[in-house]
Amino acid sequence: MPPAAATNLAHKPPDGGWGWAVVVAAFISIGFSYAFPKSLTIYFKEIQEYFSVSYSEIAWLSSVMLASMYAGGPVSSILVNRYGSRPVVMLGGLMVSAAMVLSSFGTTIIHLYLCVGVIGGFGLAFNLQPALTIIGTYFQAKRPLANGLAMTGSPVFLSILAPLNQFLFDSYGWRGSFLILGSIVLNCCVAGALMRPVHKQVASKPSSPLPKFNKAVDEGAAADASMQTADSDPEERRHEGKGPSQASKLADFSLFKHRGFLIYLTGNVVMFFGFFAPVVFLAPYAKHQGIDEYSAAFLLTIFALVDMFIRPFTGFLGNTRRIRPKIQYFFSFAVSYNGICHLLFPLASGYSGLVVYAVFFGVGFGMVSALLFEVLMDLVGAPRFSSALGLVTIIECGPVLLGPPMLGALVDTFGEYKYLYVTCGVLMLAPGLFFFIMHYFNYKKLKEEQKPEAAVETRRPGETVELKTNDEASK
Amino acid sequence: MRPDGITNTEMSHDVTVKPDGGRAGARSCAAAAERSARRSRGRRMKTMPASWKLLLLPTLLLMTSCGRTDTKTLDPTQTPPASVPPLADLKREVVLKSENVTENIELRQLVRLFLECSLTADQNKLPNMTAFWSRDGQEIPDSRLTVALEKEQYGIQRLFNITSEEKVGTYSCVFENKVRADFVLATPRFREKRDKPVVSYVHDFVVLPCKMEGSENESLTWLWFKGNETHKERISAQPDRFEIRSQNLTSRLKLINLTFADAGFYYCAAVYAVGSTMNPIKLKVITFWEPLKPFIAILIAVVLLVVVIFLCEKQQSKKKVTEGNEENVDQNNIK
Repeated sequence: MPPAAATNLAHKPPDGGWGWAVVVAAFISIGFSYAFPKSLTIYFKEIQEYFSVSYSEIAWLSSVMLASMYAGGPVSSILVNRYGSRPVVMLGGLMVSAAMVLSSFGTTIIHLYLCVGVIGGFGLAFNLQPALTIIGTYFQAKRPLANGLAMTGSPVFLSILAPLNQFLFDSYGWRGSFLILGSIVLNCCVAGALMRPVHKQVASKPSSPLPKFNKAVDEGAAADASMQTADSDPEERRHEGKGPSQASKLADFSLFKHRGFLIYLTGNVVMFFGFFAPVVFLAPYAKHQGIDEYSAAFLLTIFALVDMFIRPFTGFLGNTRRIRPKIQYFFSFAVSYNGICHLLFPLASGYSGLVVYAVFFGVGFGMVSALLFEVLMDLVGAPRFSSALGLVTIIECGPVLLGPPMLGALVDTFGEYKYLYVTCGVLMLAPGLFFFIMHYFNYKKLKEEQKPEAAVETRRPGETVELKTNDEASK
Repeated sequence: MRPDGITNTEMSHDVTVKPDGGRAGARSCAAAAERSARRSRGRRMKTMPASWKLLLLPTLLLMTSCGRTDTKTLDPTQTPPASVPPLADLKREVVLKSENVTENIELRQLVRLFLECSLTADQNKLPNMTAFWSRDGQEIPDSRLTVALEKEQYGIQRLFNITSEEKVGTYSCVFENKVRADFVLATPRFREKRDKPVVSYVHDFVVLPCKMEGSENESLTWLWFKGNETHKERISAQPDRFEIRSQNLTSRLKLINLTFADAGFYYCAAVYAVGSTMNPIKLKVITFWEPLKPFIAILIAVVLLVVVIFLCEKQQSKKKVTEGNEENVDQNNIK
């Protein structure tokens, strides 16, 4: 019996149709959000020479950007709750574009911190949150697949942006490249244009009576007011009426009482300390072992390629009838698999050992990335997802920023990389096992909670496949 | 930078190394004196009236020349004169079999270079083998030796005093059977070679860096040049155009207020006692219009896409509205 997360939506998610265009839009937005900061590192050397700063000062640029991206999460989720995904993504695209254009005229490094770091970071946050949220409104039954496909944007964009940035740098230097990147990143606005609010789809159809929900997922309400539409959907009016009273629930702190959310949060906070560090240190470790630079870089290419293909595949697996109801176990398995991978890595030797590790790690990293937001959606449900995501990102900000430097200090003190990988392994395996145990209890409790509910309500919201067929029959 | 041929008289003072280095020089000197004394004795026998001046002159000459040799031979007990900087010792050995070997030697300072070549004997196992040393392809006079087979190898060794830039070159040991080992002496090469040009903008400034590998407390002299392969012009710091900042192993040339004329090749030279190495950096100067063109092109493309998407959406929603109205009309009719 699948556990039901509260997915009380005002509409029935299309699970297709324009939804696939929205997946493409989310693909673009997520791609820019994750890959853009990483690809800017190509310019660091020249910028360092130009402004005569030390390496750590230029590395701060990456950190400021990442910190702004995570800190902008709650702001972004408030805006999405209020205005829907589309305006926020378009605003985010404009912000990043303006940030890059302004910074191309920059005269000091502080200028760059403010423009690229703060404004750019916030702009990317305004891309990430809405992209993930809108998938939850368009997809229900095929949501894991949609999430997996959308998250594939990150490795694909990184593979495109890295050589593109190198080419731009060789042709135009860093100033010209920042200017052109400012225009390239405007494609986020295109992605935003594609993110049609979902109410417009079902505008002409009156749907069955709404069950109560604690927050309006009014993708369409505010947007509809500005868009010209002649629909006379009674629910829309009701939504708009509810609008002001829902404003107080923009930041949903009641999530901290949500059992599933707390499990997710605690596990993730520990996990993120050791999630990105192995990627960051893969090439340096390879060079430390005596591998030449190109082969070390090739390891990362292998890793990215495996990652790219595993994400949609994981999404597809997560969608299958067997796994979908127990998707939390799948996520726990993915996290634990990562941990075991890192723990076994010090045993590998030679370049072939590194390649094998890159492949296995690529599989693990891709699996976790594809499921990361899907399981959160599964736990808290699509209406509260936006607020949940905002809270999660700001709390995860700490581990993500502190993880690699702390582990780097570990390498410096011991002079050996194997302690880093063992630590990362433990940091992933422990949450993985934690997830397994906690979700076992959570699933049990949810089953118990559903039994009396099922007796009361004839229509149960949930993610069962049976319900979908029922809905289809009722059309 | 390298002189042609072996013209340096100092070359004659390069002697083979023996464990009792200094005394070998004295011994050879004594042997030379003995040889010339024998010769002059022979002369005395022919010219019957013994003129001691005749004897004295060559002996005196020999003594003075011996004196010169003495100062130049290796004598560990002798302290070098204060004006000559102490030379570091560098030893390289090569084992040869049947193929020629090339060994690259990176020199950062003046050295005493001990080179040793050992040729592994083949099936013939000849008891003796001749070998000589050559420099830049030309045989060094008086370096041809006959070496005996010892522990399956023929060994030949020589000391070279690399005391100035002219002495840097390729030294080779060549064996009778045409097997040779080349020791290529050179100043350190730049590791990071950038083959793409540095791009900067008119009225902007640019910093061209040059970095050399080495130990941390090493202090190098840096020179900058502008020009091309054939003609290079030395750059001196002018306050409104160039700024050179050199610090140990790195040097940075800052060009201020760029113009199109500043584009071209720049060379940074790291100067060592044994010579200097140059690294070319190409500078390209463009106006801001260059990147502005693709920027505007992409901007227009994005705006078009967004407009098209919104228009399509409006069309679709209009269609749905008309369909919806028709449905409502039908439903009303049915009711």
